[in-house]
Amino acid sequence: MWNRALAARGRAYADAVLTVVGADGYPASVRCKVAFDDAAELVRISEPAPAAAGWSGAACILLHRHNDRLEDFHELQIRGALVPDGAGLALRPSAFVTGSGSSTTDRMPHASAPLELVRFALIGRRNARRYLAKRGAPWPPVDFSALVRVVREVDAESKNGRNTR
Amino acid sequence: MPALDLPPRVLDVLRSFYTCEFTTVNRRGEPVTWPIVSHYHEPDGVIVLTSSIAFPAKTQNARRHPEVSLLYSDPTGSGLVDPPAVLIQGRAEVSELLEDRPWMLPLFKTTLRRQPEGRSFVANALVRRLFAFYFQRIAVVVRPHRALVWSSRDFRRKPEDLRVE
Repeated sequence: MWNRALAARGRAYADAVLTVVGADGYPASVRCKVAFDDAAELVRISEPAPAAAGWSGAACILLHRHNDRLEDFHELQIRGALVPDGAGLALRPSAFVTGSGSSTTDRMPHASAPLELVRFALIGRRNARRYLAKRGAPWPPVDFSALVRVVREVDAESKNGRNTR
Repeated sequence: MPALDLPPRVLDVLRSFYTCEFTTVNRRGEPVTWPIVSHYHEPDGVIVLTSSIAFPAKTQNARRHPEVSLLYSDPTGSGLVDPPAVLIQGRAEVSELLEDRPWMLPLFKTTLRRQPEGRSFVANALVRRLFAFYFQRIAVVVRPHRALVWSSRDFRRKPEDLRVE
């Protein structure tokens, strides 16, 4: 199933992560350049990596980026099947999936867009209720005091110029 | 002495890359890849990642199909100069994060250092309430058994194939 809006967002990325499941059951991934063909509804992989030689069947393409403060997150996943495409490969998509659930943008919710953040919180709370209902028991209280202590330690490190990543 | 017998340049990647591309296999046998923050817990030689109960699909996949992979291919923010790309394949153990683990606070500290704005989720009591699901987490602990390494993140080359076990 093709999504023109998300395919357009996909063109902003320099490359993508292509993954299949190997015969040994382990997933294997490589980075590759991709091109979105709206007319043919294919994601073309022009120069598959040598490690991807012989890959076929169910595959996943991930495009993502963030900045050096782990913000400005963008995520777009395309699921489908690999098909031969001339000398290369192409993915015939079955689904375009974003981390936020949006069908038009790959941008993840952020504090600069409060409505998006509220929507994300509501989705998260609903999903968590479902998980806990299946679990059949409430989640034990979280000890925030330890986490707050870590926040203070990291703040102190930053003030003293000792942020070591 | 690190528990994982891998070259220093590979261990630097596991320690320093902000995100990796984590792949699980769904019930239809299809790969599903998402970017995620991971933490290399050196004493035990395992890679740890966590997911909120609000978005448990990858943990459910890993529970059902423990063969997973993590591709470290985006060096943004790492501070490393010309690092390799590293694909780790390993087996995952999945459990709800209900009690202290030795890697828990180090993982949280690492995440805070890399994502300073994340402190607002912990420091503000109202935000903690709204995003309670963010703190209710499931842990995936991956024991690596194989590493594929691409020098200079050049996927046109054949990777080094390193068995870890």
